[in-house]
Amino acid sequence: MRGSIPILRMGETLLATVHVDLHDAVAEAFQTDVLTAVEKRRTNGLVIDISGLDMVDTYVARILAQTGQMAKLMGTTTVLVGMRPEVSATLVRMGYMMEGVYTALDLDEGLALLKRLCKRRR
Amino acid sequence: MSHSKYMKTLKLDEAELRSRRAFFALSDEDLARLASLRSFADTHTEAIVDAFYELLLAHPDTRRFFPDESTVRRVKRAQREYFLGLFQGRCDLAYVEDRLRVGAAHERIGLAPRWYLGAYLRYLQIMQDRLFAEFPAAEARAAFASIQRLVWFDVSLAVDTYIAANLDAVGRHQAAIRELSTPVIRVHDRVLLLPLVGAIDSVRAQQVMDTVLLRVVEEKAKCIIIDIAGVAVVDTKVADNLVKTTASVRLLGAQTILTGISAQVARTMVQLGVDISAMHTLSSLAEGIELSLDLLGKTIISKPRGRANSARRGGDL
Repeated sequence: MRGSIPILRMGETLLATVHVDLHDAVAEAFQTDVLTAVEKRRTNGLVIDISGLDMVDTYVARILAQTGQMAKLMGTTTVLVGMRPEVSATLVRMGYMMEGVYTALDLDEGLALLKRLCKRRR
Repeated sequence: MSHSKYMKTLKLDEAELRSRRAFFALSDEDLARLASLRSFADTHTEAIVDAFYELLLAHPDTRRFFPDESTVRRVKRAQREYFLGLFQGRCDLAYVEDRLRVGAAHERIGLAPRWYLGAYLRYLQIMQDRLFAEFPAAEARAAFASIQRLVWFDVSLAVDTYIAANLDAVGRHQAAIRELSTPVIRVHDRVLLLPLVGAIDSVRAQQVMDTVLLRVVEEKAKCIIIDIAGVAVVDTKVADNLVKTTASVRLLGAQTILTGISAQVARTMVQLGVDISAMHTLSSLAEGIELSLDLLGKTIISKPRGRANSARRGGDL
């Protein structure tokens, strides 16, 4: 299961594009992959693109949010980008507001936001 | 609506037809009796239909539906068909569909149910007179009872058609209102504005949320200003919906600015204990627009006096 979601590195930024449905096992493997990558080399930003997902259940939402929180503990800021309108509506209706996660409209926006956030931190 | 659509709306299938017929006590015996009256019908069609239209044309309210001779000729022909239809000795779905077509036609020309029902009464009276003149009393009574059952069955279909047509119109109007009720406007590059006016019920709240989310993604908006100056009552449900919309918009990567909050609304929201700390809230729309530009890293500046005038002269002409 590990490695089924590619994680690209661009300098100190990690980029993960989720394009397959995150089943339980895949989601957990993804979390492990991300954290291992953060651990291995100096990383200050993580962008997760979920524009390919047209359904996100609470389990996946929790995995994504927790991955962000875990990365934060290791000094990496996470931005979730490209969430679809129907996905966001469903999550909020289920009472899952994803507090503590940065969000952006698309990849460009996400990278720009990350740049701003890192500059502010320094 | 077409008559086939009415069939669907009224859920007229075999089961419904059976239960309707049972309720009107419209038996196969009745249908057989009507079929046996076919020769009576054939002989009297012309006279009955003529007598019927004489009555309708004599009344000023019904006469206006027949503006000229050709219309009268046309409806008389349709009426003859309808009349003979009563004596076919069948009452299946094809029959029902045919009757719905008649009802739909009446509805379309705007013939109100009161004229329709009144006309039917007269129609029955004419038929009754003819039957009793033609047959012995007992036979005429039985025949008339059968006719009445089938006619009332037809009337029930027509009344249902009227109601279905009205409900359909109401539904279409509601859809139009819903469409008009969430006008999302692009006020600036990547800034959207949704002015909310009127009452917000749960259906509309849902609609507002869906529209806002779709438009934010479509327009790649950085922020959306929701102006609630025109909302009559802000209760917990409305407030809750605003909070939810804000949270969803944030998940998309944009921000919500809530403006048009009057003193009264501010008081209500605080007293209701709504947590709106996650939103940008401002009292006027103008401030909201300034904040949205600020979020985009832009600002509004005044031009020097002389230049403003010259620019206007050049721009407006």
